[in-house]
Amino acid sequence: MSTTATTRPIQDYTAKNYKSDLKPIWCPGCGDFGVVQAIYRALANIGRPPHEIAFVSGIGCSSRIPGYTTAYGFNTVHGRALPIAQGIKLANPDLLVLVAGGDGDGFSIGGGHVAHAIRRNVDLTYIVMDNQIYGLTKGQLSPTSRRGLVSVTSMYGSIEAPVNPLLYVLGYGAEFVAQGTPADMSGLAKVIEEGIRFPGFAFINVQSPCVTYGMDDQQLKAQKALMQPLESLNHDASNSLAAMGLAQQYGEKLYTGVFYRKGTPSPTFEGTARARQQELGAGTRPRAQVLDLFKLKK
Amino acid sequence: MNTDLVIGMAGSGGDGIVSAGESLLTAAAIEGYHGVLAKSFGPQIRGGESSFRLRLSTTKMLNTGGTLDIAVALSWDDFLRFGGELPVGGHTTVVYDSITKVPIDRIPLVGVQPIEVLAVPIEQMARETGGSERAKNTVVLGLMAGWLGIAREPMMAGIRKRLAKKDAEIIDKAVKAFHAGFEYASAHPLTSDRKMAPPAKASAKFVVDGNDLCAAAAIVAGCDFFAGYPITPSTEIMQFLSREIWKYGGTVMQAEDEIAGIGAVVGASFAGKKAMTATSGPGMSLKTEMLGLASIAELPLVCVNVQRGGPSTGIPTKAEQSDLFQAVFSAHGDVIRPVLAPVSAEDMYGITIEAFNIAEQYQSPVIILSDQEVGQRKETAEPIDASQVHIINRRVPGAQELEKYVRFRFTESGISPISHPGMPGGNYLASGIEHNEPGAPTASGEMHSRMNEKRLRKFRPLLDRRDLFIIDGPPDAPIALISWGSVAGVAIEALQIAQQQGLKVKLLVPKLMYPVSEAIYADFFLSVKRGLVVEQNHQAQLFRLIRMFVDVPSGMQTLAKSGSNPITPLEVVDRLKQITLALQQGKDREPSEV
Repeated sequence: MSTTATTRPIQDYTAKNYKSDLKPIWCPGCGDFGVVQAIYRALANIGRPPHEIAFVSGIGCSSRIPGYTTAYGFNTVHGRALPIAQGIKLANPDLLVLVAGGDGDGFSIGGGHVAHAIRRNVDLTYIVMDNQIYGLTKGQLSPTSRRGLVSVTSMYGSIEAPVNPLLYVLGYGAEFVAQGTPADMSGLAKVIEEGIRFPGFAFINVQSPCVTYGMDDQQLKAQKALMQPLESLNHDASNSLAAMGLAQQYGEKLYTGVFYRKGTPSPTFEGTARARQQELGAGTRPRAQVLDLFKLKK
Repeated sequence: MNTDLVIGMAGSGGDGIVSAGESLLTAAAIEGYHGVLAKSFGPQIRGGESSFRLRLSTTKMLNTGGTLDIAVALSWDDFLRFGGELPVGGHTTVVYDSITKVPIDRIPLVGVQPIEVLAVPIEQMARETGGSERAKNTVVLGLMAGWLGIAREPMMAGIRKRLAKKDAEIIDKAVKAFHAGFEYASAHPLTSDRKMAPPAKASAKFVVDGNDLCAAAAIVAGCDFFAGYPITPSTEIMQFLSREIWKYGGTVMQAEDEIAGIGAVVGASFAGKKAMTATSGPGMSLKTEMLGLASIAELPLVCVNVQRGGPSTGIPTKAEQSDLFQAVFSAHGDVIRPVLAPVSAEDMYGITIEAFNIAEQYQSPVIILSDQEVGQRKETAEPIDASQVHIINRRVPGAQELEKYVRFRFTESGISPISHPGMPGGNYLASGIEHNEPGAPTASGEMHSRMNEKRLRKFRPLLDRRDLFIIDGPPDAPIALISWGSVAGVAIEALQIAQQQGLKVKLLVPKLMYPVSEAIYADFFLSVKRGLVVEQNHQAQLFRLIRMFVDVPSGMQTLAKSGSNPITPLEVVDRLKQITLALQQGKDREPSEV
């Protein structure tokens, strides 16, 4: 787990510096292998030493990712990675904080937290590996499963409409929203890097297919055919309405790249908190002084 | 002259009842009296009903006593909604607003003949002097100042201060309302003597409530992060910190729910900061999964449960001690989470510091089991000397340990040095999943067993912490009195009365509720034949918890009552007398030999 890379100059970091010795438990062919590679690459381009990175996840196949990096990792409980990640960032705003999870972790059990992480605009990069199925519990419906999908909990076809993760986060006011797929590794690494560099909450949806309970070879091919880089559409990423229009095609098209990047990012929670602490004279008085508030005032 | 008086007052939500109680307490405290002010509310925000019980004394006490000496009803409907919380007895002076127009013989105090009953034109005086019925509470303050013979000047100053931001006319009216009450009291002396004797030692005091003091103590202990979700009766903790913590470099996050609140606290602790959350019963239910995570990831945090009546939404505004089982047992798996219970608002300072120290030392969540009474009552306290405070910080790895850092290393104490993000060489994977010494996930039964053993063993030193127990009375006494939390203040006084009456009783109050120290209890029970466990819940939760771990003398009984009616010291003494008599006569079950 520990790293020896801490004293090197920043420009020396390569993907290898972020890869731990732990062997992934994923099925052969799982999309998440590509995602973790893209994360290593993005981190190498950023060049922060691993000990300054906190990588948080919930529960699920994709949530194992922090363990496969040399960063400080926290594999937490189902659906709650975002609150924990916010606590880390607010406690130490100097850290680079990444969050990883699946579509069930993020949009079923943890769905309520997404809105509030966005609302607080804590500077996190949230990478959701969206495979439209529950893999770790062996093939149940997920919140992004398409209507009609036959799974072990929808033997006659799903009756529910899927959550649209892109519209969901855009609707709550996320200021950086992108999508990628391990089928286009360099494109994925690029949007992750951009997300990390974005000064505020960044959301990256990754179409990372489950090869065991999700797509067969033919479906994988079909998915690749849907892929289209947003760059090729001349999409203006600063236009949130245009981003929403494109996001509505989730499930029909697989656009990759940045849907939305706010031109002037809003202040972050932690940035404002720091300013408030300084304004109120933090560090200038002994803590015991707070007890003066209980003195009787004649 | 009296050395001790209990005053109860009730009215509707907008009558300023609680603010009148606070003014009276503060004024009395300035004159050197001791006081405990319990507030009680109905469920409504405006309208509704509210009340206080204020006990003033020339000496230190930790409970609000029994039957009222003075009962003040601004309206009988509101007063009677508090039923047994404001008990009127044969020695009570009953004062009510004559505007209620209830004939004296029809006052609904069923089966009680108070010593005197006075109809006072409270609202009329308020209108005549203040121009509005909102000055009723100020008129009552004047009445009390007159009848009790205390606190006239400080009360006037208090009124002026409270209204400092209003214009001069309003202040002038308030002062007139106060004088009207005071003069009425002079012109209508009570037949029963309600004058307070001078205080034994007039010294400067603090006026504290448990929630605010908990928040302040957290700052003193080094807490730099708080996240929580508003819930009665714990919310004042978050409110205090959201005002003060920034001044000391900390941050408060009002979370979207209780889970996110403790989640952010877990994260902040992982990042190396001391962190706290606070809630009440229903919120505690939501937090339990995260408590388990913090236990297996060995992360320090403090979680306060200001208990209210349960289960579910229960009675949000009133005290109960019914979450002990939950605090001790609610997270799944083999795990110990230390649980501490304060005995008074003043005690919250020491308990909160201790909670942080235990959390940091043993890298574990620690639960503070407060309750509505401790949390929201106001009481006089001795000034706190924070220079004497002993602060423990988590042990971080040294340079040598960081050369080949192993986060969960098996050590003799079970405690392994803990790094945090930002610390070069300390990188590790924390997880809720079982792990090996370096932190890698494992499904090995053997490793799980060894890790469980490590996580349980590290708390062993807590079992010798006699300082976390109040033990009083003759060591060889055959009668035991045990209580905890806010009700312990009743037991402490009952012990004094019982001893004055010649009963051979000794007292034990655990502040460390869990883990249960078998040795400390067993030692206490050595001389005990019979006894009483007093607590405010229905199942006698402490009594049963002790019996899980300790061979309890078979003559132990319980005085366990749920609901918000106060258990009184005299009620406890009566039971102790019965128990003593039974022991002398060899009646009821023979106690087993210990």
